[in-house]
Amino acid sequence: MTILHHPGDELLLSYAAGATDEAMSLVLATHLALCPQCRRTVAEAEAAGGAILEGDRPVLLSDGALQSVLSRLDTAPTAKSAAPLGAFTAPEPLRSYLGGDLDSVKWTNLAGGIYFKPLFQRGKSRSYLIRSKAGCGVGWHTHHGEELTLCLAGGYTDETGQYARGDLQSTTPDILHRPVADEGEDCIVLAMSDARLKFSSPIVALIGRWFGF
Amino acid sequence: MTALLATLAAKRDRAAFEILFVHFAPRVKSYLLRLGASAALADDLAQEAMLTMWRKAELFDPAKASASTWVFTIARNLRIDAIRRERRPEFDPNDPAFVPDDEPQADARMVREGEDARLRAALTKLSADQAQVIQMSFFSEKPHSQIARELGLPLGTVKSRLRLAMARIKGALGGEA
Ligand SMILES: [Zn+2]
Repeated sequence: MTILHHPGDELLLSYAAGATDEAMSLVLATHLALCPQCRRTVAEAEAAGGAILEGDRPVLLSDGALQSVLSRLDTAPTAKSAAPLGAFTAPEPLRSYLGGDLDSVKWTNLAGGIYFKPLFQRGKSRSYLIRSKAGCGVGWHTHHGEELTLCLAGGYTDETGQYARGDLQSTTPDILHRPVADEGEDCIVLAMSDARLKFSSPIVALIGRWFGF
Repeated sequence: MTALLATLAAKRDRAAFEILFVHFAPRVKSYLLRLGASAALADDLAQEAMLTMWRKAELFDPAKASASTWVFTIARNLRIDAIRRERRPEFDPNDPAFVPDDEPQADARMVREGEDARLRAALTKLSADQAQVIQMSFFSEKPHSQIARELGLPLGTVKSRLRLAMARIKGALGGEA
């Protein structure tokens, strides 16, 4: 697997700093499970976090804090949980959010060959999966906020290039793009958006509104 | 501190823990205060971070991170959990679907002698513009778009400043810039 499209270093830095919200962190962490190159950048940004922590002006804890913690130290160390066995298409952390692998997802048909699975919403940020049959596009949307799309299965193509498993696309406001699922197996993407999507197809827009896009 | 933390992991040494506590707990408290935690909460979470350090010490790998980097990630995750009340999604290297490094020797990040000092020096040498967006990333929970609004800058400018700062960090660590 060769990943061609990566998140920008500024997103990886924000993830390492703990500044990205849960929906964005889920897309980035799932990409990281598939991408050694970006894991290295996150480790480097975390080292910067360590240096910042080290350089902070220390603030003394309340009296007795050390004694209190020492008295709680006897807790047995956390046992390492056994690694799950089997082959999965959805890596962690995504699989825990789905409660299973991609083949157990309960899809809702939006229109034609487009299926949808909402995951969660925190504030304005939404996390969801979209599955498209070959040749299908979502008629697609303009973006008003930040949106990330991570390809998990199959592939899709739009004006900016071709996206396959592990590829991450980051779109900024005012981009109109029309991704179309490639031939072959259904294309499945994990996406997040921090603003309402605007679909150009009226039928998808109608159903999308019902789902709270 | 890194050698002490490795000792803690190997021997469950309480004397090593006390030294690590005295060094790190006040820094973790300071970090949490800068992120807006109340004094009482920052105190509680700093203690919690030290307990986590004790419990998870076996997971610390001195070849991959310095002690301060590892403690930073503990403090960051506790803060997201306790203050933001969100989960922190992270990859799991033991997951069968996890893609390991192709060439562990060439690819994996290895901590080198003097790295922390070089990194601190590099951070002090960032331009004022870069330092500002780095501070806002580590000490606020603001997305890039909000940082841009607050500074009255185009989003692209905020992103490119962060990318430049990240290139400096990579340079100080000896990675490709
Ligand atoms: Zn990547």
